Amino acid sequence: MNVTEYIASGILESYVMGAVSDQERREVECLSSIYPDVRQELDHLSVALEQYTQLYSVEPPASVKAKLLAQLDFDQPQETVVRPMPVDLTTGPTYTYRLTWMVAASIGLLVLLFSFYLLSQLRTNQNTLASVRTSNNSLQSEVRKLKDHQAQADQALALLRQPGLRTLELKGNEKAPQGNMLVFWNTQTHQVAVQVQSLPALPADKQYQLWYMVKGKPVDAGVFEASNATELVQRLNRSVDRAEAFAVTVEKRGGSPTPTLSTLLALAPISS
Amino acid sequence: MKRQSSLVSESVLIEKLTRRDQQAFQWLYDQYSPALYGVVLRIVRDEDQAADLLQDIFVKIWKNLDAYDASKGRLFTWMLNVARNTAIDSLRAQKTQPTSAIRTDEENVHIVDRQHNTEQPNPDHIGLKEVVSQLRPERKQLIDLIYFGGYTHEEAAEELKLPLGTVKTRIRAALQELKQLFK
Repeated sequence: MNVTEYIASGILESYVMGAVSDQERREVECLSSIYPDVRQELDHLSVALEQYTQLYSVEPPASVKAKLLAQLDFDQPQETVVRPMPVDLTTGPTYTYRLTWMVAASIGLLVLLFSFYLLSQLRTNQNTLASVRTSNNSLQSEVRKLKDHQAQADQALALLRQPGLRTLELKGNEKAPQGNMLVFWNTQTHQVAVQVQSLPALPADKQYQLWYMVKGKPVDAGVFEASNATELVQRLNRSVDRAEAFAVTVEKRGGSPTPTLSTLLALAPISS
Repeated sequence: MKRQSSLVSESVLIEKLTRRDQQAFQWLYDQYSPALYGVVLRIVRDEDQAADLLQDIFVKIWKNLDAYDASKGRLFTWMLNVARNTAIDSLRAQKTQPTSAIRTDEENVHIVDRQHNTEQPNPDHIGLKEVVSQLRPERKQLIDLIYFGGYTHEEAAEELKLPLGTVKTRIRAALQELKQLFK
């Protein structure tokens, strides 16, 4: 059979238009299943006519669809199972997705806020620690000072408690009007010590020197400083067994064998 | 067009339809009912009747789906034939002289066209309309007479006062031109 000739005969066009006899229709259907060219031409003509009919498309009344859905015997159980699933699948993940993001964002925000809180706490604590250290240091030095004072006071007290102690107050003359000091002399142990209340400061090469008078003659009783940071009471390592009076002069550092009378600052006799 | 893009899954659609899947039917209806309704409306020229017929047509499609053979033709073409045959059968049953009734209505075809187009300003269809306006009027007339009027070759020849051979030649020419236009 000549396929080209058959295609060109016009029978296919009449077939798609529905204007063929039953016998012709069967013939076309048979040949189109045998010859791909016939089938292809038939499809092309069908598509053309399909497109043409779509020109006249009109939306049917909604009632028709409703009636059909009520009338036709659908596979209900399967439908009810199948139908909600795509709905769940489409809304479910988006919901979970959104929720996940919200939770993640909230947690992130909380962590951030908590970090800021911790940071501020750390700074406060550091500041507190620094101030505590400073006050601790000052307290320690205070304690040290107090201990020193206590030791000096104890020392002075121990000295004063000893029996046979005599205390003399030496007041400065016109060369040292503000001068004022105490001399402790133990008549039993023969020890002697001084406590400077106030004496003028001396150059580095000078020192105060204490003298005691025995039978009108001055005898060296030791040197001392105008102020002593460590000792309130300065012990002088000279033994004084007898004395009629005590005197203070300014001498060169280390002391002199005889007093320089021009520098005599104070003199106090001992009443027997 | 949307319909063609879904052709890939046509076998899946038919498989679902034979399993009486409601979703598949709804898709089928939404996709094809405007085209089928348009064809039916053009044949019977009555909206209430066309709506009833459309219902019958989809019932037929639903029940005779097993009869559809994909190897013999396209699904849409098959559905169009079901719609067209049902509408033409209905028209023939109610009118003793279908030829004269349709003949006098030829004027109204264009009126109906216009009405339908104002009802449904579908851009796709407007584009197609332009394409089809290139179709020669005598060829378009013949297509409408045979396809929408249900005329046989002989009836068309008598109606148009043309030799039967000329009618056959013109049908082929018209379809070939249509094929070229939609290529």
